Amino acid sequence: MTETWTAPKATAAEWARRNLFNRWYNSALTVVLGVFLAWLAYKLVVVLFGIDYEIIRRNLLLFMVGEFPRDQIERPFISTILFGLAFGLGAATAAASARHAAAEADLAYAAPTPRMLVRRFWPLLALVAALLAFTRTVMPTVMALSTILGGAALYFGARGMPRSMVRWGWMGTLVLGIAAFAVIIVGVDGGWNAWGGFQINIFLAIAGIVIAFPFGLLLALGRRSSLPVVRYLSVTYIEFIRGVPLITLLLMGVFALGFFLPEALRPGPAIRVLIAIVMFEAAYVAEVVRGGLQAVPKGQLEAGQALGLPAWKTTRLIILPQALRATIPAMVGQFISLYKDTTLVNLVGMFDVLEVALVVNSQSDFIGKRLFFLTLAFAGVLFWVGSYTMSREAQRLEKKLGIGER
Amino acid sequence: MSTVFADATQAKGEAIIQVEGMHKYFGEFHALSDIDINVGRQEVVVVIGPSGSGKSTLIRCINRLEKHDRGRIVVDGIELSDDVRNIQEIRRETGMVFQQFNLFPHLTVLENITLAPRQVRRVPKAEAEQHAMELLERVGIPQQARKYPGQLSGGQQQRVAIARSLAMKPKVMLFDEPTSALDPEMIKEVLDVMVELAEGGMTMIVVTHEMGFARAVADRVVFMADGQIVEVGTPEHFFTSPQEERTRLFLSQIL
Ligand SMILES: Nc1ncnc2c1ncn2[C@@H]1O[C@H](COP(=O)(O)OP(=O)(O)OP(=O)(O)O)[C@@H](O)[C@H]1O
Ligand SMILES: [Mg+2]
Repeated sequence: MTETWTAPKATAAEWARRNLFNRWYNSALTVVLGVFLAWLAYKLVVVLFGIDYEIIRRNLLLFMVGEFPRDQIERPFISTILFGLAFGLGAATAAASARHAAAEADLAYAAPTPRMLVRRFWPLLALVAALLAFTRTVMPTVMALSTILGGAALYFGARGMPRSMVRWGWMGTLVLGIAAFAVIIVGVDGGWNAWGGFQINIFLAIAGIVIAFPFGLLLALGRRSSLPVVRYLSVTYIEFIRGVPLITLLLMGVFALGFFLPEALRPGPAIRVLIAIVMFEAAYVAEVVRGGLQAVPKGQLEAGQALGLPAWKTTRLIILPQALRATIPAMVGQFISLYKDTTLVNLVGMFDVLEVALVVNSQSDFIGKRLFFLTLAFAGVLFWVGSYTMSREAQRLEKKLGIGER
Repeated sequence: MSTVFADATQAKGEAIIQVEGMHKYFGEFHALSDIDINVGRQEVVVVIGPSGSGKSTLIRCINRLEKHDRGRIVVDGIELSDDVRNIQEIRRETGMVFQQFNLFPHLTVLENITLAPRQVRRVPKAEAEQHAMELLERVGIPQQARKYPGQLSGGQQQRVAIARSLAMKPKVMLFDEPTSALDPEMIKEVLDVMVELAEGGMTMIVVTHEMGFARAVADRVVFMADGQIVEVGTPEHFFTSPQEERTRLFLSQIL
């Protein structure tokens, strides 16, 4: 057996000498920059630990759920736990089905270890830990721990499921997901109009993209239809919506829908906003899907036709599975931008997390204390953690889909 | 058009494919002009000709991947028209193998082969899979059934593509340069499968420049240039006494 020669790992000192102190001017630059960064870090630490976080501590519930009825406050907690469980079971089922497919085809499959998961989701875990550290209340702690530990336990416990259980895994995920929504809608005073805070941003983003997806898919297919009427209608819709800012649609959703529909049919503000978001997102989803459809080589369509498959079966069984797989990264990107765009809804009177971040500054204890920077930064961090995690996961998925399957 | 014997474009026995006075345009461009060719049952016809001469277009018209503009195409008694049912009918009777294989990358080999029989002919899953395994046996790669196309070599992929077409039990097989995307060492394994298929009595139209294959199994060779059929004859005729100057020039380049 021959030993393979590997370059000895450079020590930190060697690396620094080669990259930071290789010329006199480079050394000077390194020193100056180093001093500046150290000073910045010191200032940051002083500020971070010197701030009085009372405004956030006291309003944390308001940030998270707005004015959700306080006598039913256990419901959002239960909902969060159910979401954690749904996520755990969904991930376990996806892992199991990937493992079975890989085993069949003799492909390598490496299941992530707990350590890898911590590395992937550290921003989320860090945020939760930080919040718990300074609220130090029982209910949120119990909720956060149940959510994370419950989700993780379900994931590690269920990912070894046999092939026959995969279907039930998906069913269970769906049921848990629906239940998570149901506990904060059914039997709540005011239904989903009671929602507020960060919860409504998350709800609008998830419901928005999920409901918009089938419409977007149809629009994308319509755009390629051989029937001119269908094609022109799809193109007109897509191009019209893409030419209009979301805020315009939101305002129209809130005012126009209220104006044109009779009182009895008029949905509540949350639903009107959701309708506007779905109309908006459908056009963007359609464009994302169109990109995916274009990525499928023409030979795939021809192979399906040559085998005598009817057009719609060729589309459904050959073109769409490949096209949608190719759109996953772009779809996540679209979801992230919608997630952030949901902060526009405070302009049409919704009590979302951004609105909370503004109004808490007029509470008598905090008025005139110029804490806007803090409350806004907090709202920003909430969004950043989600966006960053999702975009990293999308990159991972993109890499994974790139190999083996094509 | 010049041919050795007057009816060289006609099949000897009963014709399963009849093409009469067929024209094809791409916009202004006259890609096929006045094509007459019949193919008999169990006959093997090899089509040769320079790049851009319309060989692919000709066989793609036969299963309506391209729509012809004038003339008639009849496959097994069904005339190609705008009627979707006729088109589907003909596509079921006609298998096609592409230069780029065009396997479905998101499906396993077995799923690639069973897809059309199950979806179009409504064959039960178990039966379709059993038939697929027999076909994979025939093309020599039964151990690859559960893999994805991306895990196979080019030669293996093309053999899977042949098996996929055969799964529909077609009466005619069309091949469009099935070996020209392959590394030299893989060409033979694909040609062997095709030779076996020809010897088994399959009706085939094969666009290829593998003259060894033509000599071994072709009943007739068709030489095309500039969208026209220039010369038709037996392989022997082409090797010994091609009539047209263009044919001779072309053969001197590829042989
Ligand atoms: N979809 C199309 N649109 C426009 N022109 C086309 C199209 N398909 C083919 N052509 C043209 O028709 C002519 C015949 O093309 P075809 O692909 O049938 O040639 P070929 O004999 O198969 O050539 P090759 O050996 O390169 O495959 C070429 O000049 C080509 O540029
Ligand atoms: Mg060609």
